[in-house]
Amino acid sequence: MRREPRPKRSQYSMTEHTAATVSVAGTRRGRKYAGLFLVAIPVFLVAWMVIWPILTAIPRSLMQVGTDGSTSFSFANYQFFFSDRYSLNNLTVTLWTTMVCAALLLVICLPLALYLRFTSNRIAAFVQSLAIFPMFVPSIILSYAFIRVLGPNGTVDLLLNGVGLPRIRSPYLTPWGPVIGLVWDNIPLTVLILVSGLGAVSNATIEAARDVGARRLAILWHIILPRITNSILVAISFGVLGIFSSFTLPYVLGPAAPEMMGPFMQRTFRDLQNPPMAITQAVITFAFCIVFGLFYIRSVAKNRTP
Amino acid sequence: MSVLKISSVSKYFPGGTKAVDSFSLDVADGELVCLLGPSGSGKSTLLRMVGGFEDPSSGLITIDGEDITHLPPERRPTGMVFQSHALWTHMNVFDNLAFGLKLRRTGKSEIREKVEAVLDLVGLAGYGERKTHQLSGGQQQRVALARSLVLEPKILLLDEPFASLDQHLRERLREEVRDIQQRLKITTLFVTHGQDEALSMADRIVVMRDGRTEQIDRPDVVYRNPQTPFVAGFIGTMNLIDGEVAHGRFHRAGLSLDLPISDGPAILAMRPEALDLSLADQGQAVVHRVTDYGTHGLVDLDLPEAIRVKAMVDHPDRFSTGQSVNLAPRAVAAFRDGRQVFRS
Ligand SMILES: Nc1ncnc2c1ncn2[C@@H]1O[C@H](COP(=O)(O)OP(=O)(O)OP(=O)(O)O)[C@@H](O)[C@H]1O
Ligand SMILES: [Mg+2]
Repeated sequence: MRREPRPKRSQYSMTEHTAATVSVAGTRRGRKYAGLFLVAIPVFLVAWMVIWPILTAIPRSLMQVGTDGSTSFSFANYQFFFSDRYSLNNLTVTLWTTMVCAALLLVICLPLALYLRFTSNRIAAFVQSLAIFPMFVPSIILSYAFIRVLGPNGTVDLLLNGVGLPRIRSPYLTPWGPVIGLVWDNIPLTVLILVSGLGAVSNATIEAARDVGARRLAILWHIILPRITNSILVAISFGVLGIFSSFTLPYVLGPAAPEMMGPFMQRTFRDLQNPPMAITQAVITFAFCIVFGLFYIRSVAKNRTP
Repeated sequence: MSVLKISSVSKYFPGGTKAVDSFSLDVADGELVCLLGPSGSGKSTLLRMVGGFEDPSSGLITIDGEDITHLPPERRPTGMVFQSHALWTHMNVFDNLAFGLKLRRTGKSEIREKVEAVLDLVGLAGYGERKTHQLSGGQQQRVALARSLVLEPKILLLDEPFASLDQHLRERLREEVRDIQQRLKITTLFVTHGQDEALSMADRIVVMRDGRTEQIDRPDVVYRNPQTPFVAGFIGTMNLIDGEVAHGRFHRAGLSLDLPISDGPAILAMRPEALDLSLADQGQAVVHRVTDYGTHGLVDLDLPEAIRVKAMVDHPDRFSTGQSVNLAPRAVAAFRDGRQVFRS
């Protein structure tokens, strides 16, 4: 008799519990649909504007149109690309530009970001706005600014002339033209990503390192860099992906030959009126970007710290 | 054998904040001194100047006679434990402790030996391979302490190291730190704004206010014999009553008691535990509230002129709200012009 109330109470509490669970699950389900909806828009856009063109591009690059209009499957486009000296040179110069830009970006932006993170005065604020400024300038205007300053008879030339020095060999229309333009164009984003990464390195962790005897270089190497590896990877990946497939700056500033993949594709499509070849070049460019992307994802996943 | 000497050190921040104002202190070998004071009184700034993280505007800091006033932290024989443990999260516990030793080019086997010994000392033997985020808050703070200790600093500096921990853990770690400090006989400067922390750990307490020293004394002396009304009110609970002295008697709010000082204004100070209560018709005060803490009770009393005092009693059940009582202080102190002028 005395034991009776107990199971009753537990039963009661169980129903209550179940009810609570159901209502929680209900709101959770609602939230899940809202989440799916939010995710659906970008997924749809990516599928429509990226995945679908690629999926259609690959078979088109593998198609050979006969003189009678019949189509057949063939690797001819790829065989041509990879045996054509000119195409290969273009690919090489694109890779070279990308790597040089990435290295320069890191060398320029890391010290800049470190300076901005660890200094707080008016000069730092000025440097910051100067570093971010190119972000708000369209590439085409950057290009013309470049030509006016570094091009033949540009500001630098005139200044050197004015003091009786020989004129420089302008980087305009050499492979260094796009490099300078692209680096400048990519400084803002790189600096922003690195500065935000450095924001996660607290002053106290650096002071603790100094306290145990670390000098600047040791702090940079052992404390700061390991903490911002991911930010560096993100910054470099963004830079590399953008630079590899860039068009305007190499088109305006670069040499006619070899040219980067962006202008090369455009010329193949427009001037040579060879869309299948242009598509093939696009697929190859995309393949390289995918490789960079996978490398980036793998490194970020490996470096993930909670 | 390390002695820390701070001689009239001041620190002005840009903008004119006088964080520390000609502060002087000698810490003897193996002594633990607590810097105690309200928020913004300059405790951290002072400690950071000893550690080398702030540059003193003027004054001199020496360790064993050697001038370290303007040395950078990496060249000082000090070890600091920060409030937010500041562990390097990309290293495991072992590497956190070994980092400083590696910078000193210590041999591999010696590093292992030292790290293991100090982990054992802080009660974390076998935790070397753990990632810092796999530790509890108390364990993280112990690693931070071990990281400083492993380098055998001459002076150990701790800036509210337990502030983010809960009460129980704080009490336990406080005892552990005190044990370790006494075992290693390491000269220590400890910042806290918790008076119980200071009272329970320190050999001496420095009470700070607005960057200046209010009093430097042993904990029991600071408690029993506060030199200023600020210290009296800041350490422990103290009833402070503003009043007038005339003809050797203090008057205020119906109270009147002997105070053999010259005529004029004075602040009367009485500890709750030195205040006897007796039930009386038409007494001096009315019981406002009784709180039973188990071991003792605290009685809030209303005096005339809206003055409230606290008294500690052994048997709180003897009192209840609304009763009329008389007060009989067993010990009082008096302050005038910010200094102690009388103590019984
Ligand atoms: N970097 C700084 N720049 C300007 N003023 C500062 C700086 N650091 C501290 N101060 C000021 O110096 C005074 C003392 O600060 P400090 O941090 O030493 O106080 P504290 O006693 O440690 O306080 P808390 O108990 O809150 O930690 C405060 O008024 C503070 O605002
Ligand atoms: Mg502080």
